[in-house]
Amino acid sequence: MHAFVPTLLFVLCAVPAAAQDLVPKAAPQRAPVVLRNAVLHTVSDGVILGGSLWFDDGVIRGIVGEGGTLKLPNGAEPVVVDLQGKHVFPGLISPHTTLGLVEIGMVRQTNDVDEVGDTTPEATAAVAWNPDSAAIPVARRNGVLVAAVFPSGGSLPGRASVMKVDGWTNADMTVRADAGPIVAWPAQSGERRGRRGPRPEGGDGAEENEGSGAKKARDRIDEVFTAARAWFDARKTDPSVPLDIRHEALVPALRGEVPVFLLADEQEQIESAVLWATGRGLRAVVVGGRDAALCAGLLTDRRVPVILDGVHRLPRRDDSPYDEAFTLPARLQEAGVRFCIGGGTDFANDRNLPYHAATAAAFGLGRQRALQAITLDAAKILGVDDRLGSLSVGKDATLFVADGHPFDLKTKIEMAFVSGRQIDLRNKQTELAAKYRERYRQLRAK
Amino acid sequence: MSRFAAFVFAVATAALAAQGPPAEGPRAVDPGWFVLTGARVVVDPATSLERANVVLRDGRIVAVDAAPPVGATAVDCSGLTIYPGLVDPFVATDVPALDAAADDQHWNPMVQPQRSARDGALVPAAERTALRRLGFTTVACVPTGGIVKGTSTVVQLDEPTPTAPTTIVRDVVALVTSLQTRDGYPNSEMGAIAVLRQALLDGAWYRRCGAAIPAGGALPAGAPRPSSAFAALAERTDLPLWFDARDELQALRAVRIANEAGRTLVLVGSGMEFRRLAAIAAAKVPVVAPLQFPDAPDVASASAAERVSLRQLQSWEQAPTNTKRLLDAGVDVSWTTARMRDKKDFRERVAEAIACGVSTQQALALLTTKPAALLGIADQTGTITRGKLANLVVVEGDLFDPKARIRDVWVGGVRHPIQGAKDSGVDGSWSWTTGWPGKDPKVAPALTIDGDSVKGKAGGSDLKFADVVREADRLSCRVAGDALDAERVFWLRLHQDGGALVGTCAVSDGTSSAVRAERSSDDAKGKADEKKGGDDARPAPPGVGPLPTPLGGYGFLELPAQTEFVIVGATLWPCDGRGVLRDGAVHARDGRIVFAGSRADMGEPPIGAQIIDAAGKHVTPGIIDCHSHTGISRGVNEGGEAVTAEVRVEDVIDPDDVNWYRELAGGVTAVNQLHGSANAIGGQSCTVKLRWGVRHPDEMRFAGAPAGIKFALGENPRQANDRGPNRRYPNTRMGVEALLRDRFAAADAYRQALATYEKLAPAERAKAIPPRRDLELEALAQVLDGSRRIHCHSYRQDEIFMLCGLARELGIKIGTFQHVLEGYKVADAIAANAVGASSFSDWWAYKFEVWDAIPDNGAIMHEAGVCVSFNSDSNEHARRLNTEAGKAVKYGGVAPWDALCFVTKNPAIQLGIFDRTGSLTAGKDADIALWSDDPLSYAARCEATWVDGRLLFSLGTDRTMRETIAAERQRLVGRAVASGKKRTARDGDTKDAYWAAEDLTTDYCCRDCEGGR
Repeated sequence: MHAFVPTLLFVLCAVPAAAQDLVPKAAPQRAPVVLRNAVLHTVSDGVILGGSLWFDDGVIRGIVGEGGTLKLPNGAEPVVVDLQGKHVFPGLISPHTTLGLVEIGMVRQTNDVDEVGDTTPEATAAVAWNPDSAAIPVARRNGVLVAAVFPSGGSLPGRASVMKVDGWTNADMTVRADAGPIVAWPAQSGERRGRRGPRPEGGDGAEENEGSGAKKARDRIDEVFTAARAWFDARKTDPSVPLDIRHEALVPALRGEVPVFLLADEQEQIESAVLWATGRGLRAVVVGGRDAALCAGLLTDRRVPVILDGVHRLPRRDDSPYDEAFTLPARLQEAGVRFCIGGGTDFANDRNLPYHAATAAAFGLGRQRALQAITLDAAKILGVDDRLGSLSVGKDATLFVADGHPFDLKTKIEMAFVSGRQIDLRNKQTELAAKYRERYRQLRAK
Repeated sequence: MSRFAAFVFAVATAALAAQGPPAEGPRAVDPGWFVLTGARVVVDPATSLERANVVLRDGRIVAVDAAPPVGATAVDCSGLTIYPGLVDPFVATDVPALDAAADDQHWNPMVQPQRSARDGALVPAAERTALRRLGFTTVACVPTGGIVKGTSTVVQLDEPTPTAPTTIVRDVVALVTSLQTRDGYPNSEMGAIAVLRQALLDGAWYRRCGAAIPAGGALPAGAPRPSSAFAALAERTDLPLWFDARDELQALRAVRIANEAGRTLVLVGSGMEFRRLAAIAAAKVPVVAPLQFPDAPDVASASAAERVSLRQLQSWEQAPTNTKRLLDAGVDVSWTTARMRDKKDFRERVAEAIACGVSTQQALALLTTKPAALLGIADQTGTITRGKLANLVVVEGDLFDPKARIRDVWVGGVRHPIQGAKDSGVDGSWSWTTGWPGKDPKVAPALTIDGDSVKGKAGGSDLKFADVVREADRLSCRVAGDALDAERVFWLRLHQDGGALVGTCAVSDGTSSAVRAERSSDDAKGKADEKKGGDDARPAPPGVGPLPTPLGGYGFLELPAQTEFVIVGATLWPCDGRGVLRDGAVHARDGRIVFAGSRADMGEPPIGAQIIDAAGKHVTPGIIDCHSHTGISRGVNEGGEAVTAEVRVEDVIDPDDVNWYRELAGGVTAVNQLHGSANAIGGQSCTVKLRWGVRHPDEMRFAGAPAGIKFALGENPRQANDRGPNRRYPNTRMGVEALLRDRFAAADAYRQALATYEKLAPAERAKAIPPRRDLELEALAQVLDGSRRIHCHSYRQDEIFMLCGLARELGIKIGTFQHVLEGYKVADAIAANAVGASSFSDWWAYKFEVWDAIPDNGAIMHEAGVCVSFNSDSNEHARRLNTEAGKAVKYGGVAPWDALCFVTKNPAIQLGIFDRTGSLTAGKDADIALWSDDPLSYAARCEATWVDGRLLFSLGTDRTMRETIAAERQRLVGRAVASGKKRTARDGDTKDAYWAAEDLTTDYCCRDCEGGR
């Protein structure tokens, strides 16, 4: 039987930290793994106390409750870990981030999010995902094991990709390269944030111009989809029509295979984006969703889900309740809108994803539902729930073991697996902490 | 000193010897002698005479209520009312910029005290006419542009000629100031305040220097270089300061600046003074109030209405009550047409203010005697009194009825006809009896004349009237229509004759006929007027009841009282070394904590105290945020220079920022308001308590808290992340260090010079040149003396280490390192040289210098003996500092009670206020937060927050406020819709106070001063 260390595989040792992720990637799963005597937070089927779960070849093969027996194939030599009542959760999913595309926010050279041009659906996040980004191991240390990565900038910034947080190459780490094109839906009001100085003469005229500016931008987006559809139809009948890489990038969305991610925060913006997309027969997902509660009727009617850009946001207006953003998930739940919760849009702090959900939980959503909002619901909205989002037989063994609930700050994550491979939970930051604790140890020893 | 000498410049009148060119041909002699007879004469706001005569001669009033003198030209004013000419104390006037290249100008182009309104165009012709039409005869012209703009001048609204220029009533009235900013230094409000404050000090200093220099003697050592700017500042030291305030908070700031400088202040208001009424009234300064009211907010669409805040709606509704409220609060008010987009609306706005309760007597005073007194010209004008300027307004009816016709305005004895008699007899319905030139001469057309409007019918078809010219009692026009021959043109000229309308109809064929029309029998005279009145019926005026402070949804009508209360049964986190206490009790009275500990140790709860059962809940000290930019008006960073130690955040506290309330809802009770980090040496910081709802912004300051100052190291002062080439020193960390070293050397020399001067014997001191007070070096000298704490923005270990070394050299202790994300690398140096380190829990990777930031930073520094706090630097994070502290438990394993101290005790120590707050300890301020759960967990909601024992946030009150907001919004949106006025103004930035008036003087300086630099 293969020896397995049921705690951290890697003791903290003198792995030098540098401006790269130097933590080794996980080895492939060689033997079946059994996690027994655990609290299994399946998300899809409730919480199983004293449960056991086993996985092989990166896939969950069996789950049983207390007293149940796992049916492993004859001759299997599994690694068995007694978790002694610890908790197992499906990997958390950050549904809207630039993780892997950015290394340092203000250093332009490390930013791979914004392709030149207003319409660049051909830009695909998985292509530029840096497997050695130092931010990735930082996120996964808090249980974030899957991320939907979004290019940004322009009306059609590109296509989002769903990535998992361990692997040697982009290919290893890609769950779904084309999760859907992104459309930054133009806002009509133009909010005028931060605008100063004298008001334009004849304010109403200026207003109309602004409105028509948004309308033009919206029309342009519509034309892009019309042109892509025409190109696609023409090429079907006449293969000599040359390739248009931009149009081609929109084909899966036109065929309904992937959703269109509509970036929209304001009420009017959300409404017009949803009406446009569903009117065109596209599958729509609203991303941002600050005013989603104000369009709940439309969102439920059209069955359009929402990716909320975090819960830790300021209220929209001076008169808004101080906890408006904190209670938004609960209000969407109440209204029957499908949604998932993001970790804000700061790639470096995807690790705070569980805390956004925790705040939503405390402000009316409840823990179960909040956990679902960063696991299964995110997987469904991103179209990867066949493989991710819950502890279910047949899904990827992308999960983590912790001594408590990930919403609790005191909780320590002890083990994590990505497609069955146990990952190293150290990162640049843990190594720097170890390095400098050593400095003070030396100072004290003097 | 020439202009200075002309301070009380007498008015030249026509009686003086002519100074113009010799007459061509015979002299024209105008006796300039009039008697206005039979009028009701409103001598002053309190006195009026019936059927009195007013005699004018040579531009002056020579008699009131006397018999008409023989020789005077009589003007029949029977049935009319004569008022004193109105005075507008603030009319902006363009004045050319000084030559910026000249040697003796002020180094900052915003300081131009040498200028006078007389150097400019005074009142342009169009504006003169417009003001006279409203009844104004005398105005103060104010130069535009800059912070110290120059001096104002009072002029008559007469029509100047080449031989008789505009009459100056008073040459030099006041020094006019504002807090205008520019692209450069100063680019923030606090920077503008620093410039103004230093300029006023410089004026006083230059004057003292002058006194120390013996006449004709040699210049003593240290004598200032001659400067026309400084000389002008010195000359104008005795003048009152007039301050152009963009909003009510700026007004309060001006009061402070004037008080510090010992100057007399007059506020030129924004019209929003009612929002800080009590504080403004307490300042006891005169207010020149504009009558521009904001337009109704845009509620045309649901989403537009949603964007409008209750504060905007309230500001809009209440603006017309401003004067009433100021007067009731005992403020000395004058009115001005300043800030009006269209001065034509002025009388309408006056009527609105009167509808809100201003009496007409008061209204007249605000337009005559009050401004005249403010301008020091009460002996010249403002009442109809013998000897004063012949400035009169002749009105058909009541001046304060906006429809009443102003017939004439007399300016210095010269008559300016404004409007003719209301009904000269031409208005009404007429039927044409003779002279009709139509196709069918038997048809008798009907005409209706109302002012410039002429309508008519002949034989069932409409007549078209064009080119109508109406003079008082006559009318000419062209008429056409089906009833008339289309080949020919018909001109009418009509006037009243007896009861009939008579005149001529001329035809283009050369013929003409005499016309006569008789008044129609059904002409109900005045019917049209009645109808007009109906159209103009205003909505009921807004109430003048108490308003919440701050205005808006979450303000208090009355500040919650300091009650006596006991919180029992909760888990206590005292943060004073006692760990965590179960079943605790906290007793507070008169704003102080009387007891905090185990319930068992408290004994019987005091009689009369409110008992708050908090079983299952948690109580902590109020959270303290050691790095906040909440509530700083118009610019968190004075970025115009690399060293701005002279600017002070305490000058620009914005008590209206709704983020204060939101932070209270996160248990926060005190913050360190910091200047931004664009400068190696930034501005002075301000420790405040979240006393939401206090009357005056200064009441938020934490009395007795040690002074602080922002320093910044690394990429920000280097401007490394800005676009484009860096034009400003420093560009490297080496330059930052050199700059700090240099300024501390300068500050040291400064304090030594001061000390030397102080040591002089009084006689010697009188002869010596006093050192110039330098606000920048003064602040740095305080750092050297240990009386001002450095709060230093820093990231990398090398720069942290550098400042530690410099501090050791200078023999000072640093207050805090802020951010200090590599503090974990040099924690020993921080522990030895700073009071503490104030960090983020887990931010990193947003720029290069934070690439090595780690979330264990706080824990490692804490382990190494550093006093660590976690701060927000964000209005959003500030509401969740309790869980930010919890991250010190997660990353690095700090004990929970120690982690909570990261946002309570430790920031209090860092800010030097731990003797007053930061722990639940008997004798300290009752700054307390009540939580539903373990405060370090996301399950916790803040349920109540007390500051000084006042319950400033609670879930219950918050619920009530939400209901009130909904109801008030509904009422006011309805009112905005009903107002029917098309809105034109909208301020997209809801963070801005609604209706921050535009600086009356911005245009000029942006246009001209900037070009030179």
